[in-house]
Amino acid sequence: MAENQIKRASGLPAAMTGLVQELMHLPGVGEKTAARLAFHLLNRPREEVIALAEALLEMKERVGLCGQCFALAEGAVCRVCDDPARERDIICVVEGPADLMALERARAFNGLYHVLHGALAPLDGVGPDDLRIAELLNRLRSQSSPVREVIIATNATVEGEATALYLARALKPLGVKATRLARGLPAGGDLEYSDSATLTSALGGRREI
Amino acid sequence: MAAEEHSPAIVLRTRDYLESDRIVTLITRDFGRLSGIARGAKVSRRRFERRLEPFSHVMLRFRRRPHGELMFIVRAEAEGLESFLLEHDLARIAMGSYALELCEALTPEADDASDVYTLLVEALRTLERAGAGAALRQAFEMHLLAACGLALDFARCRLCGAPAALTAHPLAFVTERGGIACARCRPAAGDAAVLLPGSDAAALAALSCAQLAQAPSLAAAGRAGAHALSRFIAASAGRRLRSVEFLERVAGQTAP
Ligand SMILES: [Zn+2]
Ligand SMILES: [Zn+2]
Repeated sequence: MAENQIKRASGLPAAMTGLVQELMHLPGVGEKTAARLAFHLLNRPREEVIALAEALLEMKERVGLCGQCFALAEGAVCRVCDDPARERDIICVVEGPADLMALERARAFNGLYHVLHGALAPLDGVGPDDLRIAELLNRLRSQSSPVREVIIATNATVEGEATALYLARALKPLGVKATRLARGLPAGGDLEYSDSATLTSALGGRREI
Repeated sequence: MAAEEHSPAIVLRTRDYLESDRIVTLITRDFGRLSGIARGAKVSRRRFERRLEPFSHVMLRFRRRPHGELMFIVRAEAEGLESFLLEHDLARIAMGSYALELCEALTPEADDASDVYTLLVEALRTLERAGAGAALRQAFEMHLLAACGLALDFARCRLCGAPAALTAHPLAFVTERGGIACARCRPAAGDAAVLLPGSDAAALAALSCAQLAQAPSLAAAGRAGAHALSRFIAASAGRRLRSVEFLERVAGQTAP
């Protein structure tokens, strides 16, 4: 709905309509929810609203992607890549930052990550060039200390499987061992909804593909 | 509240919505193509016994909602419906995705689509068994077009009716006529034509009559025949399908 239509329909002051507009860009937020959030913020103390605004800005300015693994990072390299205690010859490939967080919570993996930022989705037109696949291959080619195993930890969905098969095919010429998580992830097949015990056993039971 | 309805259905497409919901488009056997919202689909194994994702074959239980809103998906059960195991092969996933997208693109919403449902079941079953060959793709394309009222004819000239095998060559596929023109009729047939070797016309004619399950054992048409089908499909769907690029990339099939 265009801004002037909302204004006419809602009778809100212009400054509020602007906020409603911005909030409606958030996933799953429609006009009604956006207006409710705007009213809520209007009634909060000034310091609280400033803190929220500053937190938003700070996140946007400080958080980027790790130059090596594309995980969320403050600065050029993420905390995992920067940690000397992590094994550097094993890389776990995940679809998104939430999957990485689930694996870190499970404390079952002590290597490095690579975040693809999506999965192959032929029906949505998401192809290999839309993911960080070329970056992974470059990373494996250019590592000074060779990687002995790549664990493909994409979700147990059609899209996750397609991505895993594609990666396994792309890794073959590099001579790197590729493994896939064991089956047994829950309902949606999403890592981010799996509990730590499930993730630990899926990692432990990984097979070569 | 509207009464609960049910039908066997195949999931064509899904989209995550909010935390744990999913918006799902399906081809049903009894009610055509439908879209609905499945609350908690990402976490509930109780109501969604079979996962709602592309290729899932489910007994769909749903309620309609007023004013053309998305229907409400109550449950999706296995009920002994066959499932299609394509996940171990990238080419099968790619071809299967294309089949799903083609169904979505060519079937009008909430129209009778029992033929399309039956065809899709047969196509996915054959794909699982025989793999992603060009003959199966071409046969499915023509069978689906026919089920959607867009039957193609490669057996005879659309203008003079002469059997293709007996007419002067080269034949031409004329998109707007959904068929071929012989060399003699071609000047009158319009100019958006793809020249077809006689062998391609014969292969397509045979594939369009055969059972889908038999298609993998028949010869596929070559580049020109595949191109003619793609042209006609793009014109009928009004757009180039998103899954085509992926299919051609992973299956190594020739792009039109
Ligand atoms: Zn990193
Ligand atoms: Zn003729």
